[in-house]
Amino acid sequence: MENNLHTVQAQELFHNAPCGFLTMEASGRILDINNTLLDLLRYTREEVVDIKSFQDLLGSGGKIYLETHMMPLLLLQGNVSEINLEIQGRGSVHIPALVNAKKVIATDESFIFLLTILDITQRKQYENELLQARLSAEEKTRKLGQINQELEQFAHTASHDLQAPLNTISGLVYLLQKKSTINAGTNGEELFLLILRNTTRMKMMIKDLLEYTRLDGQEKAFETVSLKEACTQAVEILNEDILRNNAIIHIPDMPMVSGVKIQFIRLFQNLFSNAIKYRSQADPVIQVSWEKIDSFLVVRVKDNGMGFDHKNSDKIFDFMVRLHSNDTIAGTGIGLSACKRIVENHGGTIGVDSESGRGSTFYFRIPASEE
Amino acid sequence: MRQNVLIRNNVNQSGTGKQTMLFAHGYGCDQNMWRFITSDFEKNYRLVLFDYTGSGKSDISDYDYKKYSSLNGYVQDVIDICEELNAGKVIFVGHSVSSIIGALAAARRQDLFSCLIMIGPSPCYINDESYSGGFSKQDIDEHIEMLDSNYLGWSSAITPVIAGQPESPEFATELHNSFCRMNPGIAKQFARVTFLGDNRQDLERVAVPTLVIQCNPDVIAPLSVGRYVHEHIKGSSYTQLDVSGHCPHLTAPEETVRAIRTYLEELYGE
Repeated sequence: MENNLHTVQAQELFHNAPCGFLTMEASGRILDINNTLLDLLRYTREEVVDIKSFQDLLGSGGKIYLETHMMPLLLLQGNVSEINLEIQGRGSVHIPALVNAKKVIATDESFIFLLTILDITQRKQYENELLQARLSAEEKTRKLGQINQELEQFAHTASHDLQAPLNTISGLVYLLQKKSTINAGTNGEELFLLILRNTTRMKMMIKDLLEYTRLDGQEKAFETVSLKEACTQAVEILNEDILRNNAIIHIPDMPMVSGVKIQFIRLFQNLFSNAIKYRSQADPVIQVSWEKIDSFLVVRVKDNGMGFDHKNSDKIFDFMVRLHSNDTIAGTGIGLSACKRIVENHGGTIGVDSESGRGSTFYFRIPASEE
Repeated sequence: MRQNVLIRNNVNQSGTGKQTMLFAHGYGCDQNMWRFITSDFEKNYRLVLFDYTGSGKSDISDYDYKKYSSLNGYVQDVIDICEELNAGKVIFVGHSVSSIIGALAAARRQDLFSCLIMIGPSPCYINDESYSGGFSKQDIDEHIEMLDSNYLGWSSAITPVIAGQPESPEFATELHNSFCRMNPGIAKQFARVTFLGDNRQDLERVAVPTLVIQCNPDVIAPLSVGRYVHEHIKGSSYTQLDVSGHCPHLTAPEETVRAIRTYLEELYGE
């Protein structure tokens, strides 16, 4: 009696379990199937048992997978788990399913296979949404990259092409000045000076823009660069400014790094010229120092200039952002963003510590060369 | 390069005979799939098993997407192994796509092959007007697509599929099922190379004795395809097994061994 009860309960569990059950031969012929799976497939028992094979429940892609992967695995290791197959039922019934299977020995010593089939329609939807999100993110990244490249090309061409007419204007202004056609103290002179100042400013801007666009992602070949040499060359370029401002720049012995030499020269040139430009009453004193922290080099450029409110620390590296108006101190707001770009090109980061009236310390952190 | 072939292709040797039998696995598995039949040949043959570059326990770092973008890359694997082992003329036993790899290798280097034993060969899986390969291009695409969610096991492989980079050969997840372990990018390319090729024209170039072993029914290589191979390889023999599926050496090892033995006896009067 009790045995009977167990059999009934087992049958009940088999047929109404919340997942599909199926048994098949090695050929795929279906020997038994539970009601849950029949309902899912919208077949009757009579349509399936001994009539259909497991292959009949799969699309062509699934059939290939069954024969080339799933059956060999089942036969060799006796079980497979979490195989994602699409199970096809009556008409248009297609169910994404997770299939687990096990090889067992039947009473006649032959092999039969037990399969559980779990409907994962919702899980598959999540998965597809994630995949779609990834694909669309990739596509956006690709488009952004392209737009960025076009923009840089545009900035380069525009600034390059603007140079020629501007040079003509500068030449003409120079001629006007030289030929003394402007009378001192007149309105004309005032307008003339405005033209002169703005032309100079525009020239500076175009020069900076051009230099900035030259720093685009185009990977220049990395070489071994002496940071000390880069500093020294930057000092040579700025020689006039340094003399005029009575500035002193202390450069210690410095290690070699892997990078683009011309970019390091420009980096120091921009940092030094800023330190001089934003000087305090005192003669500019600039101290370069460095230290190795883990596998990185941290290089600092400390000045005794006017400094600035530290809350602007991040802003000053933004493109064409300035803390001073052009009337007080001339500039384009490109120099520090160029510095940032150079450091990032070398896999590093840049930052600044400053306090108004107490000077600034710019620092950058780049990977140290292998010793 | 040469000295690495045995490592590259995870070449394993056994058996006490002089004549070499080279067993080449098909798409989806590795040399383990010969496990049920090799012991029957160990006494009389020198057995050589290997994994194609990119499959099983081969050295995945040697997988070159360009080289293996056609069966020729795999043909070269087989020739490299034969040359490296200096095995004389081998009995080549190839399953599924390896039957065709063997045919191409024998057409190129007849001197390396004594005979070919093809288990479930198909020279072309795609139907055309006058030929029924069993599949359409769309079926194959569907299969390749489903590989994305089945790099065995599903859970450990879906992450790279979602996160990207599945094409990178360096990507190596230890999958649960080592017999079918394959880098996702390689698996897809192997599927494409296997199922989208058309080697029907190459069959007549085979000039070594050949046995075609055909299962009935076989969804992957239907009866008519096995007959086609038999008819287009001059002088080939044909044995049909009353076994369903695509892997008789797994489902019916005894019948498979008998078919091979009978053929070898006829051929060599063993």
